Amino acid sequence: MATVRRPATRARSAIFAPLGDEGRAVRVENRLAEAIRSGVLADGERLPSEPELASMLGVATVTAREALVALRAQGLVTTTRGRGGGSFVTRPEPSSVDELGSRLTAMSRVELRDRGTIYGVILAGCAELAAERSDPTDVEGLRQLLVEAEEPDVGVWRHADSELYLSVAALTQSARMTREVVRLEADFGALLRMPLADEDFRTETCARHAALVDAIEQHDAATARTCVKEHVGDALERLADVHASMQ
Amino acid sequence: MTVQTAELAACVERVETHFHHILDQLESMRAPLVGLFDRGPVDADTARSSIEPLVRTFLATSDIVGAGYVAARGALDDQPLYLAWWQGDDQHLLAEPDAPATGAPLDYTRHPWFRTPERTGEPHVTGPYVDFVCTDEYVMTSTTPVFSHGRMVGVVGADTLVETLEKLLLPTFRAVGATLVNDLGRTVMSADPHQATGSLIDLEECSQVVSCARLPLSVVRR
Repeated sequence: MATVRRPATRARSAIFAPLGDEGRAVRVENRLAEAIRSGVLADGERLPSEPELASMLGVATVTAREALVALRAQGLVTTTRGRGGGSFVTRPEPSSVDELGSRLTAMSRVELRDRGTIYGVILAGCAELAAERSDPTDVEGLRQLLVEAEEPDVGVWRHADSELYLSVAALTQSARMTREVVRLEADFGALLRMPLADEDFRTETCARHAALVDAIEQHDAATARTCVKEHVGDALERLADVHASMQ
Repeated sequence: MTVQTAELAACVERVETHFHHILDQLESMRAPLVGLFDRGPVDADTARSSIEPLVRTFLATSDIVGAGYVAARGALDDQPLYLAWWQGDDQHLLAEPDAPATGAPLDYTRHPWFRTPERTGEPHVTGPYVDFVCTDEYVMTSTTPVFSHGRMVGVVGADTLVETLEKLLLPTFRAVGATLVNDLGRTVMSADPHQATGSLIDLEECSQVVSCARLPLSVVRR
Protein backbone atom coordinates (compact mmCIF):
# COMPACT_ATOMS: atom_id res chain seq x y z
CA MET A 1 0.00 0.00 0.00
CA ALA A 2 1.32 3.36 -0.95
CA THR A 3 1.97 5.57 1.98
CA VAL A 4 0.56 9.06 1.94
CA ARG A 5 3.38 11.54 2.05
CA ARG A 6 3.00 13.79 5.03
CA PRO A 7 5.66 16.44 5.05
CA ALA A 8 6.27 17.45 8.63
CA THR A 9 6.04 21.14 7.87
CA ARG A 10 6.01 23.74 10.58
CA ALA A 11 2.51 24.72 9.52
CA ARG A 12 1.30 21.15 10.12
CA SER A 13 2.91 20.85 13.48
CA ALA A 14 1.43 24.21 14.44
CA ILE A 15 -2.05 22.90 13.63
CA PHE A 16 -1.65 19.90 15.90
CA ALA A 17 0.20 21.68 18.68
CA PRO A 18 -1.64 21.52 21.98
CA LEU A 19 -3.69 24.62 22.73
CA GLY A 20 -2.42 25.82 26.06
CA ASP A 21 -4.64 28.25 27.89
CA GLU A 22 -1.83 30.83 27.94
CA GLY A 23 -1.73 30.77 24.13
CA ARG A 24 -5.48 31.12 24.07
CA ALA A 25 -5.51 34.31 26.12
CA VAL A 26 -3.13 35.91 23.61
CA ARG A 27 -5.32 34.78 20.74
CA VAL A 28 -8.46 36.17 22.37
CA GLU A 29 -6.57 39.39 23.05
CA ASN A 30 -5.32 39.66 19.45
CA ARG A 31 -8.68 38.90 17.96
CA LEU A 32 -10.45 41.54 20.05
CA ALA A 33 -7.63 44.08 19.60
CA GLU A 34 -7.83 43.74 15.84
CA ALA A 35 -11.63 44.09 15.90
CA ILE A 36 -11.31 47.24 18.00
CA ARG A 37 -8.58 48.83 15.85
CA SER A 38 -10.45 48.08 12.62
CA GLY A 39 -13.69 49.50 14.04
CA VAL A 40 -15.68 46.24 13.88
CA LEU A 41 -16.24 46.74 17.60
CA ALA A 42 -17.34 50.34 17.96
CA ASP A 43 -15.93 52.89 20.39
CA GLY A 44 -17.95 52.80 23.62
CA GLU A 45 -19.55 49.46 22.81
CA ARG A 46 -20.12 47.21 25.82
CA LEU A 47 -18.30 43.89 25.61
CA PRO A 48 -20.01 40.72 26.88
CA SER A 49 -19.26 39.85 30.52
CA GLU A 50 -16.27 37.61 31.30
CA PRO A 51 -18.38 34.42 31.61
CA GLU A 52 -20.36 35.28 28.44
CA LEU A 53 -17.18 36.05 26.51
CA ALA A 54 -15.62 32.81 27.76
CA SER A 55 -18.56 30.69 26.65
CA MET A 56 -18.85 32.46 23.26
CA LEU A 57 -15.17 31.90 22.53
CA GLY A 58 -15.04 28.42 24.06
CA VAL A 59 -12.33 29.28 26.60
CA ALA A 60 -12.13 29.23 30.39
CA THR A 61 -13.41 32.31 32.25
CA VAL A 62 -9.91 32.88 33.62
CA THR A 63 -8.61 33.02 30.03
CA ALA A 64 -11.18 35.64 29.01
CA ARG A 65 -10.26 37.63 32.12
CA GLU A 66 -6.56 37.43 31.24
CA ALA A 67 -7.27 38.72 27.71
CA LEU A 68 -9.33 41.62 29.10
CA VAL A 69 -6.53 42.55 31.51
CA ALA A 70 -4.13 42.69 28.55
CA LEU A 71 -6.59 44.76 26.48
CA ARG A 72 -6.96 47.19 29.41
CA ALA A 73 -3.18 47.48 29.57
CA GLN A 74 -3.17 48.31 25.85
CA GLY A 75 -5.81 50.97 26.51
CA LEU A 76 -8.30 49.30 24.19
CA VAL A 77 -10.83 48.44 26.89
CA THR A 78 -12.05 50.37 29.93
CA THR A 79 -13.75 48.59 32.79
CA THR A 80 -16.14 50.25 35.22
CA ARG A 81 -17.66 48.67 38.31
CA GLY A 82 -21.11 48.75 39.87
CA ARG A 83 -24.52 49.07 38.26
CA GLY A 84 -24.28 49.76 34.55
CA GLY A 85 -20.63 48.81 34.75
CA GLY A 86 -18.74 46.43 32.51
CA SER A 87 -16.00 46.41 29.91
CA PHE A 88 -16.26 48.99 27.15
CA VAL A 89 -14.38 49.36 23.90
CA THR A 90 -12.02 52.34 23.82
CA ARG A 91 -10.90 52.93 20.30
CA PRO A 92 -7.39 54.40 20.24
CA GLU A 93 -6.83 57.81 18.67
CA PRO A 94 -6.00 56.79 15.12
CA SER A 95 -3.01 59.07 14.80
CA SER A 96 -1.83 58.81 18.40
CA VAL A 97 1.93 58.69 18.05
CA ASP A 98 2.32 57.02 21.44
CA GLU A 99 0.01 54.19 20.54
CA LEU A 100 1.71 53.65 17.18
CA GLY A 101 5.11 53.78 18.83
CA SER A 102 4.23 51.18 21.42
CA ARG A 103 2.72 48.90 18.78
CA LEU A 104 5.85 49.22 16.68
CA THR A 105 8.19 48.58 19.61
CA ALA A 106 6.26 45.44 20.51
CA MET A 107 6.91 44.01 17.04
CA SER A 108 9.85 41.88 16.08
CA ARG A 109 11.74 42.64 12.87
CA VAL A 110 10.42 39.46 11.31
CA GLU A 111 6.83 40.42 12.13
CA LEU A 112 7.35 43.85 10.60
CA ARG A 113 8.58 42.26 7.35
CA ASP A 114 5.82 39.68 7.47
CA ARG A 115 3.07 42.30 7.74
CA GLY A 116 4.78 44.57 5.21
CA THR A 117 4.92 41.75 2.67
CA ILE A 118 1.21 40.98 2.70
CA TYR A 119 0.32 44.67 2.69
CA GLY A 120 2.64 45.40 -0.25
CA VAL A 121 1.60 42.43 -2.36
CA ILE A 122 -2.11 43.06 -1.90
CA LEU A 123 -1.92 46.81 -2.53
CA ALA A 124 0.30 46.37 -5.61
CA GLY A 125 -2.19 43.83 -6.96
CA CYS A 126 -5.05 46.25 -6.30
CA ALA A 127 -3.25 49.00 -8.22
CA GLU A 128 -2.79 46.67 -11.18
CA LEU A 129 -6.48 45.72 -11.30
CA ALA A 130 -7.58 49.31 -10.66
CA ALA A 131 -5.62 50.41 -13.75
CA GLU A 132 -7.46 47.83 -15.84
CA ARG A 133 -10.87 48.73 -14.49
CA SER A 134 -10.95 52.47 -13.82
CA ASP A 135 -13.20 54.94 -15.61
CA PRO A 136 -12.76 58.76 -15.85
CA THR A 137 -15.04 59.40 -12.84
CA ASP A 138 -12.89 57.10 -10.72
CA VAL A 139 -9.72 58.92 -11.75
CA GLU A 140 -11.31 62.28 -10.90
CA GLY A 141 -12.10 60.89 -7.42
CA LEU A 142 -8.51 59.67 -6.93
CA ARG A 143 -7.03 63.03 -7.98
CA GLN A 144 -8.95 64.73 -5.18
CA LEU A 145 -7.09 62.55 -2.69
CA LEU A 146 -3.64 63.70 -3.81
CA VAL A 147 -2.01 66.00 -1.28
CA GLU A 148 0.12 69.02 -2.21
CA ALA A 149 3.82 68.43 -1.48
CA GLU A 150 3.85 71.60 0.68
CA GLU A 151 1.02 70.43 2.98
CA PRO A 152 2.56 70.60 6.48
CA ASP A 153 -0.13 68.70 8.43
CA VAL A 154 0.95 65.05 8.75
CA GLY A 155 -2.58 64.11 9.85
CA VAL A 156 -3.94 65.29 6.50
CA TRP A 157 -1.32 63.18 4.73
CA ARG A 158 -2.08 60.05 6.73
CA HIS A 159 -5.81 60.35 6.18
CA ALA A 160 -5.59 61.11 2.45
CA ASP A 161 -3.05 58.33 1.95
CA SER A 162 -5.25 55.75 3.62
CA GLU A 163 -8.29 56.86 1.67
CA LEU A 164 -6.33 56.80 -1.58
CA TYR A 165 -5.37 53.18 -1.01
CA LEU A 166 -8.91 52.22 0.01
CA SER A 167 -10.22 53.90 -3.13
CA VAL A 168 -7.70 52.05 -5.29
CA ALA A 169 -8.79 48.80 -3.64
CA ALA A 170 -12.44 49.63 -4.37
CA LEU A 171 -11.57 50.04 -8.06
CA THR A 172 -10.80 46.34 -8.25
CA GLN A 173 -14.64 46.08 -8.19
CA SER A 174 -14.27 43.43 -5.51
CA ALA A 175 -16.05 44.05 -2.19
CA ARG A 176 -14.08 41.28 -0.48
CA MET A 177 -10.79 42.76 -1.65
CA THR A 178 -11.85 46.17 -0.36
CA ARG A 179 -12.82 44.76 3.03
CA GLU A 180 -9.47 42.99 3.21
CA VAL A 181 -7.68 46.28 2.52
CA VAL A 182 -9.80 48.02 5.17
CA ARG A 183 -8.54 45.38 7.60
CA LEU A 184 -4.92 45.78 6.47
CA GLU A 185 -5.18 49.56 6.70
CA ALA A 186 -6.43 49.36 10.26
CA ASP A 187 -3.88 46.72 11.15
CA PHE A 188 -0.72 47.97 9.46
CA GLY A 189 -1.49 51.08 7.39
CA ALA A 190 -1.13 53.47 10.34
CA LEU A 191 2.36 52.10 11.10
CA LEU A 192 3.45 52.32 7.49
CA ARG A 193 2.48 56.01 7.48
CA MET A 194 4.75 56.92 10.40
CA PRO A 195 7.56 57.89 7.97
CA LEU A 196 5.26 60.62 6.59
CA ALA A 197 6.58 62.71 9.48
CA ASP A 198 9.70 63.22 7.27
CA GLU A 199 9.40 65.96 4.71
CA ASP A 200 11.53 64.24 2.07
CA PHE A 201 9.36 61.13 2.30
CA ARG A 202 6.28 63.33 1.82
CA THR A 203 7.85 64.80 -1.32
CA GLU A 204 8.52 61.33 -2.71
CA THR A 205 5.05 60.14 -1.72
CA CYS A 206 3.54 63.07 -3.59
CA ALA A 207 5.43 62.22 -6.80
CA ARG A 208 4.76 58.49 -6.62
CA HIS A 209 1.06 58.88 -5.92
CA ALA A 210 0.64 61.36 -8.78
CA ALA A 211 2.38 58.80 -11.01
CA LEU A 212 0.08 56.08 -9.66
CA VAL A 213 -3.08 58.02 -10.53
CA ASP A 214 -1.66 58.84 -14.00
CA ALA A 215 -0.95 55.16 -14.60
CA ILE A 216 -4.45 54.21 -13.48
CA GLU A 217 -5.89 56.84 -15.82
CA GLN A 218 -3.86 55.48 -18.73
CA HIS A 219 -4.85 51.88 -17.91
CA ASP A 220 -1.13 51.14 -17.47
CA ALA A 221 -1.34 48.23 -15.05
CA ALA A 222 2.41 47.49 -14.91
CA THR A 223 3.34 51.06 -13.96
CA ALA A 224 0.53 51.30 -11.41
CA ARG A 225 1.81 48.13 -9.76
CA THR A 226 5.39 49.40 -9.75
CA CYS A 227 4.39 52.74 -8.19
CA VAL A 228 2.73 51.03 -5.23
CA LYS A 229 5.43 48.41 -4.89
CA GLU A 230 8.16 51.05 -4.75
CA HIS A 231 6.21 53.27 -2.40
CA VAL A 232 5.35 50.52 0.08
CA GLY A 233 8.91 49.19 -0.20
CA ASP A 234 10.38 52.60 0.59
CA ALA A 235 7.93 53.16 3.47
CA LEU A 236 8.84 49.77 4.89
CA GLU A 237 12.60 50.50 4.79
CA ARG A 238 12.03 53.80 6.56
CA LEU A 239 9.78 52.13 9.09
CA ALA A 240 12.52 49.54 9.70
CA ASP A 241 14.84 52.46 10.58
CA VAL A 242 12.26 53.92 12.96
CA HIS A 243 11.82 50.47 14.48
CA ALA A 244 15.57 49.98 14.92
CA SER A 245 15.95 53.41 16.52
CA MET A 246 13.27 52.55 19.10
CA GLN A 247 14.80 49.31 20.24
CA MET B 1 -32.70 45.92 -36.38
CA THR B 2 -35.93 47.32 -34.97
CA VAL B 3 -37.22 43.81 -34.41
CA GLN B 4 -34.01 42.79 -32.66
CA THR B 5 -34.09 45.89 -30.50
CA ALA B 6 -37.65 45.03 -29.50
CA GLU B 7 -36.23 41.84 -27.97
CA LEU B 8 -34.29 43.98 -25.51
CA ALA B 9 -37.44 45.82 -24.45
CA ALA B 10 -38.30 43.27 -21.75
CA CYS B 11 -34.84 43.81 -20.19
CA VAL B 12 -35.20 47.59 -20.32
CA GLU B 13 -38.61 47.36 -18.70
CA ARG B 14 -37.32 45.24 -15.81
CA VAL B 15 -34.47 47.69 -15.14
CA GLU B 16 -36.80 50.69 -15.31
CA THR B 17 -39.34 49.04 -13.00
CA HIS B 18 -36.69 48.49 -10.33
CA PHE B 19 -35.02 51.91 -10.47
CA HIS B 20 -38.12 54.03 -11.17
CA HIS B 21 -39.75 52.55 -8.07
CA ILE B 22 -36.67 53.66 -6.11
CA LEU B 23 -36.68 57.15 -7.63
CA ASP B 24 -40.41 57.51 -6.79
CA GLN B 25 -39.71 56.55 -3.18
CA LEU B 26 -36.79 59.00 -3.04
CA GLU B 27 -39.15 61.70 -4.25
CA SER B 28 -41.49 60.96 -1.33
CA MET B 29 -38.52 61.14 1.11
CA ARG B 30 -37.37 64.41 -0.40
CA ALA B 31 -40.65 66.26 0.13
CA PRO B 32 -40.72 66.37 3.98
CA LEU B 33 -37.03 67.39 4.06
CA VAL B 34 -37.62 70.29 1.68
CA GLY B 35 -40.50 71.40 3.94
CA LEU B 36 -38.22 71.31 6.99
CA PHE B 37 -35.33 73.20 5.45
CA ASP B 38 -37.66 75.80 3.91
CA ARG B 39 -38.94 76.66 7.41
CA GLY B 40 -35.51 77.38 8.93
CA PRO B 41 -32.41 75.80 10.51
CA VAL B 42 -32.53 72.01 10.90
CA ASP B 43 -30.54 69.77 13.26
CA ALA B 44 -29.56 66.14 12.68
CA ASP B 45 -32.23 64.69 15.02
CA THR B 46 -35.05 66.58 13.31
CA ALA B 47 -33.87 65.60 9.83
CA ARG B 48 -33.55 61.99 10.92
CA SER B 49 -36.96 61.68 12.55
CA SER B 50 -38.69 63.41 9.63
CA ILE B 51 -37.83 60.56 7.26
CA GLU B 52 -37.30 57.56 9.53
CA PRO B 53 -40.80 56.00 9.15
CA LEU B 54 -40.72 56.42 5.36
CA VAL B 55 -37.26 54.87 5.10
CA ARG B 56 -38.14 51.93 7.32
CA THR B 57 -41.21 51.11 5.24
CA PHE B 58 -39.20 51.56 2.03
CA LEU B 59 -36.52 49.15 3.31
CA ALA B 60 -39.09 46.58 4.39
CA THR B 61 -40.98 46.60 1.10
CA SER B 62 -38.27 47.00 -1.58
CA ASP B 63 -35.28 45.11 -2.96
CA ILE B 64 -32.79 47.54 -1.48
CA VAL B 65 -30.12 47.15 1.20
CA GLY B 66 -30.00 50.67 2.61
CA ALA B 67 -31.60 54.10 2.29
CA GLY B 68 -31.72 57.52 3.88
CA TYR B 69 -30.71 61.16 3.80
CA VAL B 70 -27.11 62.37 3.57
CA ALA B 71 -26.47 65.97 4.57
CA ALA B 72 -24.46 68.42 2.50
CA ARG B 73 -21.51 69.93 4.38
CA GLY B 74 -22.81 72.56 6.79
CA ALA B 75 -26.49 72.04 5.89
CA LEU B 76 -27.38 70.90 9.42
CA ASP B 77 -26.77 73.37 12.21
CA ASP B 78 -25.28 70.86 14.69
CA GLN B 79 -23.22 68.45 12.53
CA PRO B 80 -20.83 69.25 9.67
CA LEU B 81 -21.38 65.87 7.98
CA TYR B 82 -24.19 63.45 8.81
CA LEU B 83 -25.91 60.39 7.41
CA ALA B 84 -29.51 59.56 8.44
CA TRP B 85 -29.00 56.24 6.71
CA TRP B 86 -30.45 52.86 7.65
CA GLN B 87 -29.21 49.58 6.24
CA GLY B 88 -29.10 45.81 6.57
CA ASP B 89 -31.60 43.25 7.80
CA ASP B 90 -31.67 45.00 11.17
CA GLN B 91 -32.12 48.46 9.56
CA HIS B 92 -29.36 49.89 11.76
CA LEU B 93 -28.59 53.60 11.62
CA LEU B 94 -25.35 55.11 10.34
CA ALA B 95 -24.80 58.59 11.65
CA GLU B 96 -21.19 59.73 11.91
CA PRO B 97 -19.23 59.20 8.71
CA ASP B 98 -16.05 57.49 9.96
CA ALA B 99 -13.31 56.43 7.59
CA PRO B 100 -13.19 52.64 7.75
CA ALA B 101 -9.49 52.26 8.55
CA THR B 102 -8.47 55.36 10.46
CA GLY B 103 -11.77 56.27 12.17
CA ALA B 104 -11.22 59.90 11.16
CA PRO B 105 -14.24 61.78 9.77
CA LEU B 106 -14.80 60.80 6.17
CA ASP B 107 -15.71 63.40 3.58
CA TYR B 108 -18.33 61.59 1.53
CA THR B 109 -19.12 64.69 -0.52
CA ARG B 110 -16.40 63.80 -3.04
CA HIS B 111 -18.10 60.52 -3.97
CA PRO B 112 -19.97 60.38 -7.29
CA TRP B 113 -23.31 59.47 -5.66
CA PHE B 114 -23.13 62.83 -3.88
CA ARG B 115 -21.23 64.90 -6.43
CA THR B 116 -23.22 64.01 -9.55
CA PRO B 117 -26.70 65.10 -8.36
CA GLU B 118 -25.02 68.14 -6.81
CA ARG B 119 -23.58 69.08 -10.19
CA THR B 120 -26.62 68.27 -12.34
CA GLY B 121 -29.47 68.99 -9.92
CA GLU B 122 -31.04 65.74 -11.16
CA PRO B 123 -31.48 62.22 -9.76
CA HIS B 124 -28.61 59.86 -10.56
CA VAL B 125 -27.76 56.19 -10.35
CA THR B 126 -24.10 55.59 -9.48
CA GLY B 127 -22.27 52.34 -9.93
CA PRO B 128 -21.70 49.52 -9.89
CA TYR B 129 -18.94 50.31 -7.37
CA VAL B 130 -17.59 49.05 -4.05
CA ASP B 131 -19.11 51.28 -1.39
CA PHE B 132 -16.81 51.56 1.63
CA VAL B 133 -18.75 54.43 3.20
CA CYS B 134 -22.01 52.63 3.99
CA THR B 135 -22.49 49.00 3.02
CA ASP B 136 -18.97 47.65 2.29
CA GLU B 137 -20.64 45.87 -0.62
CA TYR B 138 -20.77 46.03 -4.40
CA VAL B 139 -23.77 48.23 -5.05
CA MET B 140 -25.65 50.68 -7.24
CA THR B 141 -26.69 53.84 -5.44
CA SER B 142 -29.67 55.93 -6.54
CA THR B 143 -29.58 59.53 -5.27
CA THR B 144 -31.87 62.54 -5.64
CA PRO B 145 -30.73 66.04 -4.63
CA VAL B 146 -32.66 67.92 -1.94
CA PHE B 147 -32.84 71.66 -2.61
CA SER B 148 -34.02 74.41 -0.29
CA HIS B 149 -33.81 78.14 -1.03
CA GLY B 150 -31.76 77.32 -4.13
CA ARG B 151 -29.09 75.44 -2.18
CA MET B 152 -28.49 71.67 -2.13
CA VAL B 153 -28.88 70.59 1.50
CA GLY B 154 -28.09 66.95 0.80
CA VAL B 155 -29.26 63.91 -1.10
CA VAL B 156 -31.78 61.18 -0.40
CA GLY B 157 -30.72 57.80 -1.68
CA ALA B 158 -30.98 54.03 -1.71
CA ASP B 159 -28.48 51.23 -2.33
CA THR B 160 -29.22 48.12 -4.36
CA LEU B 161 -26.78 45.20 -4.14
CA VAL B 162 -25.52 44.17 -7.57
CA GLU B 163 -26.18 40.64 -6.37
CA THR B 164 -29.87 41.54 -5.94
CA LEU B 165 -30.03 42.93 -9.48
CA GLU B 166 -28.46 39.74 -10.78
CA LYS B 167 -31.14 37.65 -9.04
CA LEU B 168 -33.94 39.91 -10.26
CA LEU B 169 -32.81 40.51 -13.81
CA LEU B 170 -30.44 37.86 -15.08
CA PRO B 171 -33.08 35.36 -16.31
CA THR B 172 -34.63 38.06 -18.55
CA PHE B 173 -31.19 39.09 -19.83
CA ARG B 174 -30.12 35.50 -20.51
CA ALA B 175 -33.22 34.89 -22.59
CA VAL B 176 -32.01 37.45 -25.15
CA GLY B 177 -28.23 37.44 -24.58
CA ALA B 178 -28.13 41.02 -23.27
CA THR B 179 -25.79 43.01 -21.00
CA LEU B 180 -26.64 45.90 -18.66
CA VAL B 181 -24.05 48.69 -18.61
CA ASN B 182 -23.82 52.15 -17.08
CA ASP B 183 -23.14 55.36 -19.03
CA LEU B 184 -19.38 54.78 -18.74
CA GLY B 185 -19.66 51.30 -20.24
CA ARG B 186 -19.19 49.45 -16.96
CA THR B 187 -20.92 46.07 -16.87
CA VAL B 188 -23.60 45.67 -14.21
CA MET B 189 -24.40 42.12 -15.28
CA SER B 190 -24.36 40.14 -18.46
CA ALA B 191 -25.90 37.07 -20.04
CA ASP B 192 -22.34 36.29 -21.17
CA PRO B 193 -20.57 34.50 -18.30
CA HIS B 194 -17.21 35.83 -19.55
CA GLN B 195 -18.32 39.45 -19.38
CA ALA B 196 -17.45 40.07 -15.74
CA THR B 197 -19.45 42.47 -13.61
CA GLY B 198 -17.39 45.63 -13.19
CA SER B 199 -15.48 45.24 -16.45
CA LEU B 200 -15.63 48.00 -19.06
CA ILE B 201 -17.00 47.58 -22.57
CA ASP B 202 -16.73 49.93 -25.50
CA LEU B 203 -20.30 50.96 -26.30
CA GLU B 204 -19.19 51.83 -29.85
CA GLU B 205 -18.56 48.16 -30.45
CA CYS B 206 -22.07 47.07 -29.48
CA SER B 207 -24.47 46.42 -32.34
CA GLN B 208 -27.46 47.39 -30.24
CA VAL B 209 -27.73 49.91 -27.43
CA VAL B 210 -31.07 50.74 -25.81
CA SER B 211 -31.10 53.43 -23.10
CA CYS B 212 -33.31 53.12 -20.05
CA ALA B 213 -35.58 56.10 -19.49
CA ARG B 214 -34.36 58.61 -16.81
CA LEU B 215 -31.44 56.30 -15.94
CA PRO B 216 -27.73 56.38 -16.89
CA LEU B 217 -28.08 52.72 -17.87
CA SER B 218 -28.35 50.88 -21.17
CA VAL B 219 -29.17 47.38 -22.27
CA VAL B 220 -26.72 46.32 -24.98
CA ARG B 221 -25.89 43.42 -27.22
CA ARG B 222 -22.61 42.87 -29.05
